[in-house]
Amino acid sequence: MSVVETPLMQVLSRALDLTATRQGLVSQNVANVDTPGYKAQDINFRQELERALGDEEGRQTAPLVRDVPGLIERPDGNNVSLERESLLMAQNQLAFQVDVELLRAEFNRLQLAINGGNGQ
Amino acid sequence: MNLFGLFQISGSALAAERLRAEVATSNLANADTTRTAEGGPYRRRVVVFNSQPNSQFRLLLANTLSAGAAPPAGGVRVTQVVEDPSPPQRRYEPGHPDADAAGYVAYPAISPVQEMVDLMGAERAYELNASAVQAAKQMIQQALQILK
Repeated sequence: MSVVETPLMQVLSRALDLTATRQGLVSQNVANVDTPGYKAQDINFRQELERALGDEEGRQTAPLVRDVPGLIERPDGNNVSLERESLLMAQNQLAFQVDVELLRAEFNRLQLAINGGNGQ
Repeated sequence: MNLFGLFQISGSALAAERLRAEVATSNLANADTTRTAEGGPYRRRVVVFNSQPNSQFRLLLANTLSAGAAPPAGGVRVTQVVEDPSPPQRRYEPGHPDADAAGYVAYPAISPVQEMVDLMGAERAYELNASAVQAAKQMIQQALQILK
């Protein structure tokens, strides 16, 4: 840990990475909503975040992408649920925003400490 | 995952869905076409969607950056536009210039209802992908906020 990278920043940056990855998968699922035989894909966010933070050396390993279980398959073999993807899209957007705001606040606190509390 | 990559994924779907809408519109427009360049009545066309395999470069890049990684997300593309093999509808119109000896004219086997449903499906899918683009745009703008 360096002086300018707090543990919270590490958590938030990993969370931002994973949220972006997840948004990519949502985009992919939505893009393939009419592709016969396509199966919806996702990552286990919590598991992946814990794995990324548990790695002492800070190596960036790509998250494990897997098929989403429990979705109803249509006759053409496609199981993308538009409701699920729309909700996840909204949720991802908000989660991303929250992470960004928290990160900004953390940087502001750091700035405050650097300036010795004499304003910013 | 590169946030800008989201545009490519959603963009591929926007293009594919638009092509699907174009084909459905073309089918509707030609519902009564009895003459084509290939001869015979117009044949209904159908698009075939295929999930886009990732380019060799992107796969290689992902593998180099992190070994044993999952492949990056891919989009969709229309691999081909095929003709519906169902036989043409025969209607009795002896006065028609394209009527055969028995007085029957071969019309394309196109159901306007089916095409309209397909058109609506394409429209909705287009809308959803457009909102995915909007979401990606917003996320990039928010990420820029960190710098301010």
